[in-house]
Amino acid sequence: AVNKAEEPQNPPQLGHLAIIKPLVYLTLRLSLPDALIRLPSGSRLCTRRSSGAAAPGSGATIFALSSGQGRCGIAVIRTSGPSSGHALRILTAARDLPPARHASLRLLSDPRSGEPLDRALVLWFPGPRSFTGEDCVEFHVHGGPAVVSGVLQALGSVPGLRPAEAGEFTRRAFANGKLNLTEVEGLADLIHAETEAQRRQALRQLDGELGHLCRGWAETLTKALAHVEAYIDFGEDDNLEEGVLEQADIEVRALEVALGAHLRDARRGQRLRSGAHVVVTGPPNAGKSSLVNLLSRKPVSIVSPEPGTTRDVLETPVDLAGFPVLLSDTAGLREGVGPVEQEGVRRARESCNFLATVVASVGAQSPSDSSQRLLLVLNKSDLLSPEGPGPRPDLPPHLLLSCLTGEGLDGLLEALRKELAAVCGDPSTGSPLLTRARHQHHLQGCLDALSHYKPSKDLALAAEALRVARGHLTRLTGGGGTEEILDIIFRDFCVGK
Amino acid sequence: MFYLRGCGRWVAASFTKQQFPLVRLSSDSAAPRTPHFDVIVIGGGHAGTEAATAAARCGSRTLLLTHRVDTIGQMSCNPSFGGIGKGHLMREVDALDGLCSRICDQSGVHYKVLNRRKGPAVWGLRAQIDRKLYKQNMQKEILNTPLLTVQEGAVEDLILTEPEPEHTGKCRVSGVVLVDGSTVYAESVILTTGTFLRGMIVIGLEMHPAGRLGDQPSIGLAQTLEKLGFVVGRLKTGTPPRIAKDSINFSILNKQTPDNPSVPFSFTNETVWIKPEDQLPCYLTYTNPRVDEIVLNNLHLNSHVKETTRGPRYCPSIESKVLRFPNRLHQVWLEPEGMDSDLIYPQGLSMTLPTELQEKMITCIRGLEKAKVIQPGYGVQYDYLDPRQITPSLETHLVQRLFFAGQINGTTGYEEAAAQGVIAGINASLRVSRKPPFVVSRTEGYIGVLIDDLTTLGTSEPYRMFTSRVEFRLSLRPDNADIRLTLRGYKDAGCVSQQRYERACWMKSSLEEGISVLKSIEFSSSKWKNLIPEVSISTSRSLPVRALDVLKYEEVDMDSLAKAVPEPLKKYTKCRELAERLKIEATYESVLFHQLQEIKGVQQDEALQLPKDIDYLTIRDVSLSHEVREKLHFSRPQTIGAASRIPGVTPAAIINLLRFVKTTQQRQAAMNESPKTDQCLRNADRLQERQFLLSPATLPRRTSLTDTFLTLKPTLSPGRASLKASWCISTDFTSVVTLTGAKVTTIPGLRTPVSTRPTGTVPIPKNIYSILNTYEGR
Repeated sequence: AVNKAEEPQNPPQLGHLAIIKPLVYLTLRLSLPDALIRLPSGSRLCTRRSSGAAAPGSGATIFALSSGQGRCGIAVIRTSGPSSGHALRILTAARDLPPARHASLRLLSDPRSGEPLDRALVLWFPGPRSFTGEDCVEFHVHGGPAVVSGVLQALGSVPGLRPAEAGEFTRRAFANGKLNLTEVEGLADLIHAETEAQRRQALRQLDGELGHLCRGWAETLTKALAHVEAYIDFGEDDNLEEGVLEQADIEVRALEVALGAHLRDARRGQRLRSGAHVVVTGPPNAGKSSLVNLLSRKPVSIVSPEPGTTRDVLETPVDLAGFPVLLSDTAGLREGVGPVEQEGVRRARESCNFLATVVASVGAQSPSDSSQRLLLVLNKSDLLSPEGPGPRPDLPPHLLLSCLTGEGLDGLLEALRKELAAVCGDPSTGSPLLTRARHQHHLQGCLDALSHYKPSKDLALAAEALRVARGHLTRLTGGGGTEEILDIIFRDFCVGK
Repeated sequence: MFYLRGCGRWVAASFTKQQFPLVRLSSDSAAPRTPHFDVIVIGGGHAGTEAATAAARCGSRTLLLTHRVDTIGQMSCNPSFGGIGKGHLMREVDALDGLCSRICDQSGVHYKVLNRRKGPAVWGLRAQIDRKLYKQNMQKEILNTPLLTVQEGAVEDLILTEPEPEHTGKCRVSGVVLVDGSTVYAESVILTTGTFLRGMIVIGLEMHPAGRLGDQPSIGLAQTLEKLGFVVGRLKTGTPPRIAKDSINFSILNKQTPDNPSVPFSFTNETVWIKPEDQLPCYLTYTNPRVDEIVLNNLHLNSHVKETTRGPRYCPSIESKVLRFPNRLHQVWLEPEGMDSDLIYPQGLSMTLPTELQEKMITCIRGLEKAKVIQPGYGVQYDYLDPRQITPSLETHLVQRLFFAGQINGTTGYEEAAAQGVIAGINASLRVSRKPPFVVSRTEGYIGVLIDDLTTLGTSEPYRMFTSRVEFRLSLRPDNADIRLTLRGYKDAGCVSQQRYERACWMKSSLEEGISVLKSIEFSSSKWKNLIPEVSISTSRSLPVRALDVLKYEEVDMDSLAKAVPEPLKKYTKCRELAERLKIEATYESVLFHQLQEIKGVQQDEALQLPKDIDYLTIRDVSLSHEVREKLHFSRPQTIGAASRIPGVTPAAIINLLRFVKTTQQRQAAMNESPKTDQCLRNADRLQERQFLLSPATLPRRTSLTDTFLTLKPTLSPGRASLKASWCISTDFTSVVTLTGAKVTTIPGLRTPVSTRPTGTVPIPKNIYSILNTYEGR
């Protein structure tokens, strides 16, 4: 399908080639939906209260992916608990619930951004006639990891919902008398297996950078909490050192900043869902459109030997090495042409998001802005004479490709896979979707709780905020008992009469 | 007043009109006249006094047995009550109509609320108490409690009888034997022996047996308990020296004045007995490097510190403070012991150095240069019983109707003791009247946290209450203890007076009404700003703001709110307590909403009761790992919730337990449906089996057979004979057989499990052992 026409009249000189001509910049631009930007704490409180009014005093509502992990045709996501109906209404943006126990086709969209997620079958089971005996909802969504992750995250953002613990659905069903004793025979084994899997998963993750981070945060938080608790329990009777609270305050604030930064940065699951943007850019007639056609395996763009064939930004969704990618072809960047092409160039620049700086930074070695990853691809490698000298040695790291012969395509795909994995998270290691939803849920919960920590006011309230925050973190790292707090108190302070 | 054969001195008996004869004849005609009570409480300390009066309030004829009547209500350590966490306990004791809070309101000499600036959930009511007044007031109260009799005497042993069939436990307590050999019978017995169980006092290298300085320890009782199979541990604690008041130079020390106005401990008191200006001050001084030096140079003279008996992780003595946190100045509070007392209690200077060194160390301290030590500080080592051997109603698993409360369970502190005392007293009484036990949950009170921690986790150091131990700290506050416990205490326990109950009801409904009124008043934030200019409310939000939310602001109280909106808020400012409590409710309203969800979850698990007679070590219906079995066996959790809090009990084990609970429930439901005649037969059968179990023939300890029997049938082992045992035994004969691969019917004289033949016609032969022996030999 590659329709590369004949070569330019003059065989290009090597120097020429290296400086501008066949430069194709591939930038993986990160698209961060605005909705993920954390709401100010005040507005958060409001939503909580409104959800609370819906179901006062009842247990939490849980959700989980109920079908198997990995790619499949249909994935089933379940919720159980009093806020199930609320969650269903929010995700389907409908005022009314669908008829009970009837499959209905609904468009699910992200409550935060309104962005559509999937067209899915939803089933509404009002309690007690449901699997768990509570209000339940089933979402039968398309099985791609991106969709599943998106729906899970959307559910996690509904106030009152949290990811289910191992075996929690069955346990609820059992507690509500929905399972008979024989049915529950295998439950303990199942839970054992699930907890075991979770433990192993946690172990695997905890070896990694994130686990290290979480453990560090949990330690900091536990210590800060212990010191605040010590200040409450012993601050007046015993002499604690000066500045215990101030120190705790500093640590909590630092933790808040670190968590916030991490959450802003680590939205990889989000990218996996909406797809990473890959923008192909470069000078005219470098073969950008050919590359796009090659990668998407269909003639998306018209190609011709004439420079400036592409005048607009052409976007096409492709599956690159298992990652959903939105591939954009752009007009070649050059000055002094007709108004139509000029507009195309402007759009190309815009789509590349400050391309000028990107180009500049490529010239001056690797880009410092981590959110803009660049791959430097030199096309038309078939024009290089095998015995002649290679590309200029002072070029930044680059890949050689010939869209005509397909040579170097494998190398490019592998490099792209690596880049995408770094940006999106690698879906092939473990079953990270649920875990990721859990992580994000608890880290966000932790951050929210920390924002309520105001030691100058009621200290019992402040400590409660830290307790809630620590609860979220320790659900990721384990531990979290009161004894741990007391151990720190008695280790760090000389208290007691 | 009664004088009984060699029974010591009957001090006082207050009778209600109709119930004149306190002494009931034992049904045994041959027996001499023996007094019979509903409840006996052994020990007159803080747990004992609360237990005895609580039982009496519940309507039980109660006997309080103590070494010496004149030490009832003695504060043997610090001259203060309350503090952070402990003040919460006192409020809860008061909510159940206990004594200590009311007596403290009559006996304090310096009232101060700690943590004033840290939020009402963690306010710590505290007071310096006049020891003499406290004791006097306590004794007056005890001696005037209807249905309560006090007797001097040391208990040497317990009288045990066969267990009640419908409860677990290997035997039942039915009375006590005093040192002089006389006996007193009772339906329930509460042990509150404090540090007296094999108590040992340590000063320097000297050690002598004593429960408290100048009092004999209880050794016989400790042996009895050990023989019964209780797991005994050892703890240590200490008390500082007492200093002559006139030998201290207070003028150079920091003075701490009491609160004005004083906050009373009891819900029933609006004020305390003494005006703030008449109260006594406390003084603060610090240790210095010379104190460290004396401690470190004389460790060889200090056996209490050297020995390995578990001390707490926190620092009880100046020695451990110096050892664990060297080169620091430690606080020493100089506290008055009473209005006309010449003594000062140096809090923070608990020590066990030899007497002359104590004096030397004290005179190093600023303000104490010329101090005279009147009584040296000393350490106490004593036995405690692993609290995992008691249920949340404080009854022991081993011995039916025997209750433990106070330091015997490994706690420290007057308030912890008093809290357990009330619960033990109530439950001992409920047990007599065959009513369900009164258990306070973790979600209901600090008392619940205290008892749940003890009974499920045990303790290896003296257990002290901290607010950090409490998950639902924002809900369990000192201000609302009455709402949490008084109503339940009235309805479920019957330990609360009508007057107190009505007061709590009024308060509860007023609070609820007040909160709903505050929720209903809504104005825009700018209007609120106009009404109450000092409030730092943000006017940028357009949503209407409820009065309850405005009340959350630190600078707003009910008075300012009522000034802004006189109708309908004015009436809520008339009662000061109500106004203050509304303010507190508003402060925590939003957070409490979230806590409520968690509390529901905990309560759900606590509603799932585990069978009491379940034998975790042998039960086959539940698949559990050996480790989990042992843990459950030792702690004997009563609910799924308690089981899940035991470290090492896995979620899978919990599910298996849940399943077991459901099966048992179904089985019981089926049992209840079976015809009555069947039930009678079954009972007759049971009786026969029990006689078999208890008959002397089954008790000889022949090594090989007993060992076999114990492995097969641990319910017979010391400490665990349940009524179920009689049923189990037949089933267990099956297991005898299955172990060796034969069938039940192959044992001569025994046919298939007896329990399946409720006709009761299958007698268990007396020569069962020889049968089994023969069988074993094959």
